[in-house]
Amino acid sequence: MTVLRFDNVSKQYPGGQQALTDMSFSVNPGEMLFVTGHSGAGKSTLLKLIHLAERPTRGAVLFGERNLRNVSGRGVAMHRREVGVVYQDHRLLTDRSVAENVGLPLVLRGVRRDEIRKRVRSVLDRVSLGTRADALPTQLSAGEQQRVGIARALIGEPALLVADEPTGNLDPTLSAEIMALFAGLPERGTSVLVASHDLGLVKRMKKRVLVLDHGRLVDDISPEELADG
Amino acid sequence: MAKPNARPVAAGATAAKPRSAVAAWFDHHLQSLVASLGRMLRKPWATLLTVGVMAVALALPLGLWLVLENVARLGGTVEQSREVAVFLKQEIDPARADTLARSLRARADVASVTLRTPEQGLASLREASTGVYADAISAVGENPLPSVLVVRPRGDERSLAQALQALPETDFVQHDAIWRDRLDRWLGFGARVAWVLAALLGLGALLVVGNTVRLDIQSRREEIAVLQSLGATDGFIRRPFLYLGAAYGLAAGALALGLLTAAEFALRQPLRALAESYGSRFALDAIDPLQAGLVLAVAAALGWLGAGVVTGHFLRQTRA
Repeated sequence: MTVLRFDNVSKQYPGGQQALTDMSFSVNPGEMLFVTGHSGAGKSTLLKLIHLAERPTRGAVLFGERNLRNVSGRGVAMHRREVGVVYQDHRLLTDRSVAENVGLPLVLRGVRRDEIRKRVRSVLDRVSLGTRADALPTQLSAGEQQRVGIARALIGEPALLVADEPTGNLDPTLSAEIMALFAGLPERGTSVLVASHDLGLVKRMKKRVLVLDHGRLVDDISPEELADG
Repeated sequence: MAKPNARPVAAGATAAKPRSAVAAWFDHHLQSLVASLGRMLRKPWATLLTVGVMAVALALPLGLWLVLENVARLGGTVEQSREVAVFLKQEIDPARADTLARSLRARADVASVTLRTPEQGLASLREASTGVYADAISAVGENPLPSVLVVRPRGDERSLAQALQALPETDFVQHDAIWRDRLDRWLGFGARVAWVLAALLGLGALLVVGNTVRLDIQSRREEIAVLQSLGATDGFIRRPFLYLGAAYGLAAGALALGLLTAAEFALRQPLRALAESYGSRFALDAIDPLQAGLVLAVAAALGWLGAGVVTGHFLRQTRA
């Protein structure tokens, strides 16, 4: 069973802008891949379709065996709990501590407070922020804030983590740290899909790459092909 | 075989155990309530203004309704003391009038009957008259006054008056129903005005809460977007705002009751003095605890409703 599958997906926005055209690909369990392309290529739209922030105009997006076209109402919220999302601008709540931000997905699920505390400690240790649990996001560096965002996306142990330009605001060293963090996730069973326009970074990671251009999937490069140059 | 909606699960996932649905529901309601109260207290001036405007909007129709209740009570008091005077025909002697009085006392719509003989009437007239009128009364050799039955009605006095008028012994009935009709119509009109005011100002209170909550939503738009992206349900997003609206309504209701109590306190003494000058012991009735509870419940419901309408509109707008 694939984690995610796009079957001839097209997306046209109400203004007439064609964001995606006949896109088909699938993501396997424990796989990490990149989606790259110039600005406006359709990377963000692709992520929005996965996260149900947008709906396809044609075709089907399947999460496991669930056709996301048929998900509505409360089902949208339930679906979002199963997909971890990391944003370029972190989207942390600045009036809440690091621990509170990270624990939010579990609060939404109604998990007991002591269980939340335990899991927050564990996931913060994984992203090397165990000592910053009580800090406010504004007291952290950009790299630390991004790691908080990743911890928040991971705490629910999603089958799929999607990241939209997660290193867009970071220097090369911090970018490499974040990517190393992502690279360790597949072995824990989480598939990772990263949208990035940073081709240098994408090449260095030596993972599968989907190349988009004007809303079309123009290339699907395997790690082996990437390694061969 | 996989279920039709089977979803992928991370291989290393150790699913967090959710509490029972009731415990989680209760916990989140409690958190929402505390967070809403905290938000109100963190912005005391804005809260005071919102609650103040709502309180005035609630106090105006409520005050009018209280005045009408008191006027109706006053009308009721006057009604009880009102009597129907039945002037009997000249040829009806006191003995026959007394027999008639006894038969009338047996009627269900009669509370009491007092017979005033011609002699008693003349004596009263003499007492009340002075000067030329007293001389004129003395000059009349024969007592011209008829026997009069003073009937105090129980229930519908109009039909009683008609029945008394139809008696063969009756010359005429003095029963001034016009003032009562007018009072009833004024009370009816006032009650309708109170309802219209209550509807308009209640709508105003609802809009005040709605606007306050709308501003609160705007200021927390990013936070809401984050929560939605993490999988918050509409109920989770809506709940704190509903509590906020209800808390505004409850506070406004309490303030409105306080304003009315203060107004009643300020008017009590001069009104008592006015009533005493007319020989009346009339005093204003304040709002009773049951009515106060009802006011608080309605005010809280208005706040809840206003917040619910605005939050629902916002959530519909954010849906993909």
